[in-house]
Amino acid sequence: MSASDLLDRRLVVVTGKGGVGKSTVSAALAVLAARRGKRVLVAEVDARERVAPMLGGRPSGPVIRPVLPGISTVNVDPRHALEEYALMVVRVRAIYQAVFENRVVRFFLRAVPSLAETLMLGKVLHEARSEAHGRPRWDLVVVDAPATGHAVQLLGTPRALLDTVPGGPLRRDAEWMQALLSAPDRTAVALVSLPEEMPVTETAELDAQLGQGLSLPRGPVFLNAMPGAMFTTSELDGLRGLSPSAPPLGPAARAALLQGAQRERAEAQAVRLRELLGRDVVPLPLLAADRWGRRAVERIADAMDGQV
Amino acid sequence: MGALLRSLQGKRIAIVVGSGGVGKTSVAAAIALSRAMAGGRALVCTIDPARRLATALGLGTLGNAEALVPPEAFTRAGLASTGQLFAMMLDVKRTWDDLVTRHAPDAATRDRILGNRIYQQVSGALAGSQEYMAMEKLYELSTERDYDLIVLDTPPTAHALDFLEAPDRILDFVGNETARKLFAPALDAGRFGARLLQVGTGFVAKTLSRFTGSDVLSDVGDFLGQFQGMYDGFKERATEVRSLLTRPEVGFVLVASPSPLSVDEALFFHDHLRTAGMPVAGSVANRVTPDLWPFPGPTPGASPLAEALAAGPGSGGADGGLDLAERLSLALSQHQSFAHSDAREVERLRRGASGPHVAVPRLEGDVHDLAGLAALAAHL
Repeated sequence: MSASDLLDRRLVVVTGKGGVGKSTVSAALAVLAARRGKRVLVAEVDARERVAPMLGGRPSGPVIRPVLPGISTVNVDPRHALEEYALMVVRVRAIYQAVFENRVVRFFLRAVPSLAETLMLGKVLHEARSEAHGRPRWDLVVVDAPATGHAVQLLGTPRALLDTVPGGPLRRDAEWMQALLSAPDRTAVALVSLPEEMPVTETAELDAQLGQGLSLPRGPVFLNAMPGAMFTTSELDGLRGLSPSAPPLGPAARAALLQGAQRERAEAQAVRLRELLGRDVVPLPLLAADRWGRRAVERIADAMDGQV
Repeated sequence: MGALLRSLQGKRIAIVVGSGGVGKTSVAAAIALSRAMAGGRALVCTIDPARRLATALGLGTLGNAEALVPPEAFTRAGLASTGQLFAMMLDVKRTWDDLVTRHAPDAATRDRILGNRIYQQVSGALAGSQEYMAMEKLYELSTERDYDLIVLDTPPTAHALDFLEAPDRILDFVGNETARKLFAPALDAGRFGARLLQVGTGFVAKTLSRFTGSDVLSDVGDFLGQFQGMYDGFKERATEVRSLLTRPEVGFVLVASPSPLSVDEALFFHDHLRTAGMPVAGSVANRVTPDLWPFPGPTPGASPLAEALAAGPGSGGADGGLDLAERLSLALSQHQSFAHSDAREVERLRRGASGPHVAVPRLEGDVHDLAGLAALAAHL
């Protein structure tokens, strides 16, 4: 799949190693899709909510809330997802309370295979396929998924349920969830990485796990925080001799050399990542941003434009 | 030796905690490496599913058993070591199976549990299962082996507290008396729903089985029933693990990158460790941008840099000089912008966390081999 039709999917799941900028990429994808006139929901999964604050709004919590024109956010948590789902099954709140608010039942529900993950994923996927007034409720649902290991666990739950639960509503839900997740015309998993040794290694492993392991349609890999090429090799050679100089030249030369070295290492890792993946990656610029606010997100969205 | 390693000198166990992507695994490996280089027998145990530690140690793969990092690897990296460095990766499922095998009264019960679908989910995928087994493995290693230092690299936990609370939460479930009474009759009756109706809990069971299908309920009943005889052994062990964590021979090491989110997470964890009476050995701010302009006033604009360039030896000529000066000015100001926001977060971590604090500068290369780990250890 080429990166350029990513935003025409109904569901884009964003994941990667911790600290690589998943929330920023999720927020930027939403901003870009909204610029193209789409109605977007960004769903975080049981997270310390980051996307809404990054876009200048207040945290949504478990209830979907608009944050910018065209963009709504939600933070799905297991308790609310269970309540919502259970009410859909039993329909009567009094029964829900009698059964599901029962302490013993709560213990029990923890042991049902990956129930919390399934319900949270189910809530998100439900949004991705729900309709209102004869058209999809959202043009695009972006899931800011948990980091690597937890994401594999989360995205693997429908399949785990299909292996363990022989019947009942949970199984039927696992079936449509698995179908939606593995449909390449509707869903894509986008990975975020950093141009560093271990994140690159991990991204390649994750890509294989999601593709061969879970048969999920893979979207683009975003290589976040790529330093720009500010100096030529011969300029850097010249600056090397100047780095011991007195201020202001010495410190400036050292900053330039550090930038050049960082750029060189990052470029080598970008090459490595492309080789490991066997396909191209989408570089996103390293920003000298003091705070990760809406301005920074807009700039990342600018950089994505034309690439996704 | 840096302040953090000094603080760990009298410890037998170091537990490295922090949010994902802060270099926890590298810090854990560097701590173990430095003990080995000082002549000790040190083990680093990671539970990270992404096998980062193997990459860093150049071991290729790591398994559930401890592997000795070959002495040649030290020689190749130009390091002299009089001790031994071991590494392993925790296999969560295997550790559960070992635990069941250890506590099962007989082979039949063991096989029945190992084959139960609920058990397979609990041991493989239940949230907190990794964290519980990390604690379990740590206990086993600390009581049954004779390492001078065991360093545990903890999972990239979404919620810091999972790590401390997971054993209790899981045991609360498997040991819950009422749950056992509710679900265990399935064992005797064969048919779960019918039996529950007799004991007057049919309403709950019927609603639940609409939700999950009744087979799942009888699996749970079976699981809990089988577990009954083993629960006390599990509980006792979990209590011992918990008390192990409060002993003075243990030190928690908080690792954060200089970002607001990561420091928040580290401080949050710190406060909970303190509340739970668990010893904090120190904190590490990792990958900190060095301050290159510790002078009053803003970083220089292009013209003073162009002048300095023109005055210097081998200057690139006036034209190229101004263009280069502009980029130099930009490079320095961007660098300082990173340095300042990093410094602010490092300071917040230093003030908020007890025990020695070290800041590790962003190192030249990624830490991905023994030499890199040794360079990292030098900062700890």
